[in-house]
Amino acid sequence: MKKLICLSLVASSFLLADTDLEQLKAQMDKQQLMIEKLLKKIQKLEQADASNEQNYIQKLDIKTAHNHQENAVQKKQASETKNATFMQSQYMPDISLIMDTSYVSRSKKDDEAAHLEVPGVAHGLLGSHSHDGDSHSTYNASNGFNLNYAELVLSSAVDPFFTMDGIFHFSEHGVEIEELFFTSTALGYGTRVKGGKFNSNFGYLNEQHHHAWDFADMPLVYESFLGMHGLNEKGLQLQWTAPTKNYLMLGAEVLQGENEQMFGNATIGDAQDPIAKGSRAPSLFVAYAKTSFDIEDTTVLGGLSYANGTSRIDHSDDEDGPHVFSADSVLYGADLTIKHYFDSYSFLTWQSEWLMRDMDGVQYNLDGTGAVVSSPNLTKEQAGLYTQLIYAIDKNWKIGARYDTIYKNDVAANGIDLNKPTDLNKYSTMIEYRTSEFAKFRLQYNRNEALYNEDGMREKIDTIILQANFSIGAHGAHSF
Amino acid sequence: MRFLLLLLPLTLFANLNIAVSYPYIGALTKSIGADKVETVVLAKGNWDPHFVVPRPSLISKVRNADGLIMNGGQLEIGWLPPLIKRAANPKTNINAATFLNLSNHVTMIDKPQSVDRSGGDLHPDGNPHFHLDPKNILILANVIKEYLISMDAKNQDFYEKNYIDFFDMWNKKIDMWNEKMLSKKGLKVIQFHNNLAYFNKSYGLESIATIEPLPGIPPSSKHTISLIKLIKEQKPCCILHDVYHSTKTAEYISSKTDIPVILMPHDIGSLDNTEDLISLFEYLTGAIK
Repeated sequence: MKKLICLSLVASSFLLADTDLEQLKAQMDKQQLMIEKLLKKIQKLEQADASNEQNYIQKLDIKTAHNHQENAVQKKQASETKNATFMQSQYMPDISLIMDTSYVSRSKKDDEAAHLEVPGVAHGLLGSHSHDGDSHSTYNASNGFNLNYAELVLSSAVDPFFTMDGIFHFSEHGVEIEELFFTSTALGYGTRVKGGKFNSNFGYLNEQHHHAWDFADMPLVYESFLGMHGLNEKGLQLQWTAPTKNYLMLGAEVLQGENEQMFGNATIGDAQDPIAKGSRAPSLFVAYAKTSFDIEDTTVLGGLSYANGTSRIDHSDDEDGPHVFSADSVLYGADLTIKHYFDSYSFLTWQSEWLMRDMDGVQYNLDGTGAVVSSPNLTKEQAGLYTQLIYAIDKNWKIGARYDTIYKNDVAANGIDLNKPTDLNKYSTMIEYRTSEFAKFRLQYNRNEALYNEDGMREKIDTIILQANFSIGAHGAHSF
Repeated sequence: MRFLLLLLPLTLFANLNIAVSYPYIGALTKSIGADKVETVVLAKGNWDPHFVVPRPSLISKVRNADGLIMNGGQLEIGWLPPLIKRAANPKTNINAATFLNLSNHVTMIDKPQSVDRSGGDLHPDGNPHFHLDPKNILILANVIKEYLISMDAKNQDFYEKNYIDFFDMWNKKIDMWNEKMLSKKGLKVIQFHNNLAYFNKSYGLESIATIEPLPGIPPSSKHTISLIKLIKEQKPCCILHDVYHSTKTAEYISSKTDIPVILMPHDIGSLDNTEDLISLFEYLTGAIK
């Protein structure tokens, strides 16, 4: 019985809905007729008006009158489907979501790869590692499938004086605020202030996000010196573009100084009796100059960068040779990019960056209980570079090759050279296919000859990475 | 400090320094502004207007400008926003009075019913290549005149006079071009990308298909085969091709169907004989034999 009532109710509601629809249609038809009549009237009036004016004005006026009519009609229609009271969806920021996933085949098992190091420079470059209590992975960490990240980007003007951008990396381990910053828009004189957390504009590659890189992984020298995030810091940035014909930009940044591989200011050890005392924060200062000029369809962009800060590197929990390193550190960078365009889609880019660091401090070697057993003065003078050539054949295809090296690795304890190896090289090549601006697939091959195992033996590692990168939402514009 | 003083004169002595996205806007601005205005064109006329290389030198050009005129309709979406951001020039911010978006002043056609990237690279506001309708040039000239007056009221009479001269001249040209194209009315054409929509509309040409299967998506063999079939059925006069995409597929279709491929410039500097607005339209209206 109940069912029957329900059914009949449903049926009657459909019928009612139908009649409602018909009424609506009829009403809309009426309105359409009215609009058409109104339009004709307006046209007549406008034409009468226009005929009184001079000949050359007339044509334009009809045209603009026509536009006005159309605007009026549009406005009318818009007012019919008026926004709900207090609706604010027009103020929605630009949103985009980028996913990056890869299939990796490496000539070394994951647990073995994670223990390899670049002697005297860095360890744990491959595979997963943990810092500050969270575990997280480098890009393409594991053999097999990897979900590198989902990057959520939100950006919008705040008011007439600022814009704001937020870039969030979601991984299976959690969410990281990759960047979150405001940028001034109204200062004038070519000056711009940015504050929050952001990628430093040190060098060329550091500011770019992973999905803008030409290879699936970071250059060896960047990743060894600065880790997989590069210089990604809380702080304040000031940039000034000179009022010159050729591009000249000077910038300075004050940063907190918390880079996992190179910079730090936190006290390490017991607060009362620390192993290494902390330094005053903010502790990292960056400055750079960039300039560019064009020779017909070739653009040259070069830059010099400088970073000065303190280092507090905590490896007290390492199983093998626990230690703490405290130093004053300087990082120098030079970059040169030459891009030649053959047409709108095809280009050849030669991009190189050189990094050198100079660290001077004390290494506290610990025993199993965390007590300091020795504290030699340790200096590190290390330098490396990457150079890469990318050829975009057309809109869809790109090929490229990259050479990475750390060629200088002078590490000395109490003035005695530790004879760290210097011929630390990596070779990469890739081919990329895009179905559109929003989807790309990349096949990359790496041969890494920079890694050593715990017995101090060199391990040559071959890696094949098949990367897929997709983006939806707002159109991300390309910067140079 | 002396170094800074040396840099200043660059911006002090010029009258109005207007950055514009495309060459046609530069030419139009120059027609109204003449020697009172310096124009700096950001994009090259022979390249795809959707894909402009955001060279750092363009940042400097925007940084030093007193105003910016762009085409709009999302044609610049892939390259202009980062330049504006980096230039940090309050006069070229999108809400500045000295920022002009031309697409707000013309009626755009082919507005997509629904927007989804599975339909290719769509322009949600309609087809942005509106300057290829010569009548729109008059509207744009008027808009640019008003814009220049708003920035430089003391030269109002100068701009008004130049505008009237341009208007008269252009109207005469429109009549000439109408006459020239009269016999072409009703012809069916094929395009690579629908960038001649306004030109076709104003001269009654009917575009029946594009070589790219969807906007921004490169030709596929399946689509090309169906296109050849369509051409054999509908007998269009020709393939009107832009200058920046490869004509390989068009040549292939041409060889299978015996209809010619005609290069159609989309802006000043697209081809050798298109060095100003008049020669651009002279070329376009004379291209179909």
